[in-house]
Amino acid sequence: MNFSSFIQYIASGTAYTLGVTLVALPSGLVLGVLFALLYVYGGRVVSRLMSLYSTVMRGIPPIVLLFILYFVMSGSVNLSPFWAGSISLGIISSAYQMEIVRGAILAVSGEQMLAARAIGMSTLEAIRYVILPQTLRLAIPPWSNEAAIVIKDSSLVYALGVPEILRRAQLISASTQQPFLAYISAAVIYFALVFIANRLLARLERRLTIPSNP
Amino acid sequence: MKKSLVLLVVLTVLGGILAGCASQGKQSVLDKITKDGKVMVGTSADYPPYEYVDDAGNKTGFDIDLMTEIAKRMGVELVWVDMPFDSLVAAVQEGKIDMSISCFNYSAERDEQVDFSDAYYTSEDAFLVKSGFAGAIVNPEDVAKYKIGVQSGTVQDDWLTTTLVEAGLVEDANISRYERVDQAALDLNAGRIEVLMADYVPAQALVKQYPDFQVVYHAVLSTGPLNIVLPDGDAKLQAEINKVIKALQDEGFIDTLATKYFSE
Amino acid sequence: MAEWLGLFQRFLKDFILGAGTTLELTAVGLLMGFLLGLGLALAKTFGPKWLRAIATGYIELFRGTPLLVQLFLIYYGLPSLGITLSQTLSAYLALGLNSAAYQAEYLRGAIQAIGNSQMMAGRSIGLSRWQTIQHVILPQALRLALPSWSNEPISLLKTTAIVFLIAVQDLMAKAKRAATITYNPIGSYLAVAVVYLVLVFALDALLKWAERKTKIPGFEINTKRV
Repeated sequence: MNFSSFIQYIASGTAYTLGVTLVALPSGLVLGVLFALLYVYGGRVVSRLMSLYSTVMRGIPPIVLLFILYFVMSGSVNLSPFWAGSISLGIISSAYQMEIVRGAILAVSGEQMLAARAIGMSTLEAIRYVILPQTLRLAIPPWSNEAAIVIKDSSLVYALGVPEILRRAQLISASTQQPFLAYISAAVIYFALVFIANRLLARLERRLTIPSNP
Repeated sequence: MKKSLVLLVVLTVLGGILAGCASQGKQSVLDKITKDGKVMVGTSADYPPYEYVDDAGNKTGFDIDLMTEIAKRMGVELVWVDMPFDSLVAAVQEGKIDMSISCFNYSAERDEQVDFSDAYYTSEDAFLVKSGFAGAIVNPEDVAKYKIGVQSGTVQDDWLTTTLVEAGLVEDANISRYERVDQAALDLNAGRIEVLMADYVPAQALVKQYPDFQVVYHAVLSTGPLNIVLPDGDAKLQAEINKVIKALQDEGFIDTLATKYFSE
Repeated sequence: MAEWLGLFQRFLKDFILGAGTTLELTAVGLLMGFLLGLGLALAKTFGPKWLRAIATGYIELFRGTPLLVQLFLIYYGLPSLGITLSQTLSAYLALGLNSAAYQAEYLRGAIQAIGNSQMMAGRSIGLSRWQTIQHVILPQALRLALPSWSNEPISLLKTTAIVFLIAVQDLMAKAKRAATITYNPIGSYLAVAVVYLVLVFALDALLKWAERKTKIPGFEINTKRV
């Protein structure tokens, strides 16, 4: 077997890697934005709860959380390892994305919230029309970083048996006894994925930058 | 008001996710299987010739063929779920999969969590070494002198832990536990471990794959009859599976499979 | 709950052993990563063009691929090139090489913030390039880097949790073992999650203390979590 057929065999796991990322990242974003809003505008008790959630979730290794969430989910709903793993990664990422969004809200909020309230908007309206549009754009650079992390962390679902890139590499390394080639191929594919994702997000960032607001 | 409503929804969702480990309705899994027209079966496809992935990427092996036939006789579609071996029992217990076939032996600790079908085959344990191995294994306890590798969560792992570690014959640190048996084989080949303990039939398959390997000892230590792992207390499903296994034994189907996969 | 506490108690000795391994892995990985990372950061800031290219390439490669792949490449891949490292050594190496790429970026930020004007000042009073780096830039840059760098020990502590996949007996491996013995995966992983949290909090407190001790008044750069 030569290098290109290795790449080909392993690359067929790319669909799963992308799938896991495309489920985990957006679900983490939705939860993250929600939690960040609750954190900043939720009142004292809610704020405390969100802060606790963030501290605990970010204090535990992703692989440990992945196993806990995976087994908890499999006990309550019937999900395939792919879905259970992807959603678990999304929940894990939500804590990190929440901190990113919170940082951006704090950078925007304050005076702007006061100004919006002063012209007669409700808090929710101010969030919807004034704060969030700026916040989300401000959050793109750190968020791109998180996107790359989620692509890389998607390799963790290997341990749940999802046939993604690393699992395919492991299978072919066992059957051909060429582990070096197999894992180098996997590394090349991951690198390409992260590289392309970074370029796409950099383009998005340029297009959406708020002028004169670095 | 709105705020507390949002909070309530969030907490309910979170609570649902985090506390959901509780019980499910006590209905036979067999009814669910017939209703859905499909059976979800877990395996750890790293154990040739029982279960493995061939060059084309398809699952194959003794257990795989057997289960395919069982599903066919039950008239349902078979959906494979490939997961790490030591997650399989928990997955059956928690209803993630309907049952699991993965070269399982009966053990009392497992029996507390799940049920077993009747045996469909009987297996042995084996010790594998690489050529150039200077030691000698006359009694099974002799392996305590060497660096040992085993697949995590298997009956072999159990045997090593109870017979050697807990008896004080060997330090736990001397035993390397692997996620998959093919990773253990890579390490035996690389020389990181000296002895690999595995089921006899897969051990022979490894010898075919790695000409440097040889089986230096085999006997029934931890293994014995192989069974399918079923959800706990589901007599209806158990009866159905046992009926099919019995029929396949009587027809000689299982013997044919054994010849196909196990003979040289 | 009582059942869970029982599990915790039953495996407590195991967990402590595992936590020891986890801390060892973190310490060694951090030290290796720091030494190599500092070299990379200096190379990238002050090195000649070819050296900058190598440093950049290294950082991009290691940050652009999952640590798990790097770990498997070192552990299962290298033997086919005739290099067989032990489980522990492979884990050290993977963690150290990977952490170096991240630490290089933290250190580079601080070095650049101190950077050129001080280099010129140092050179103009007759210090050599290397002397300026050693006596002027690094003492300031290392203190300046501490707040953002202090993410790395915690992040590394958490990433060590994947080494159980190459049969290293760390905390996570002990959880896995407890799970296979008790068939209570949720309880087992929750138990080590608590141990990890304790380790992370302790480490965090230690780092906060170090940050206060070494702060340069008036000099702060934004901290960024990676």
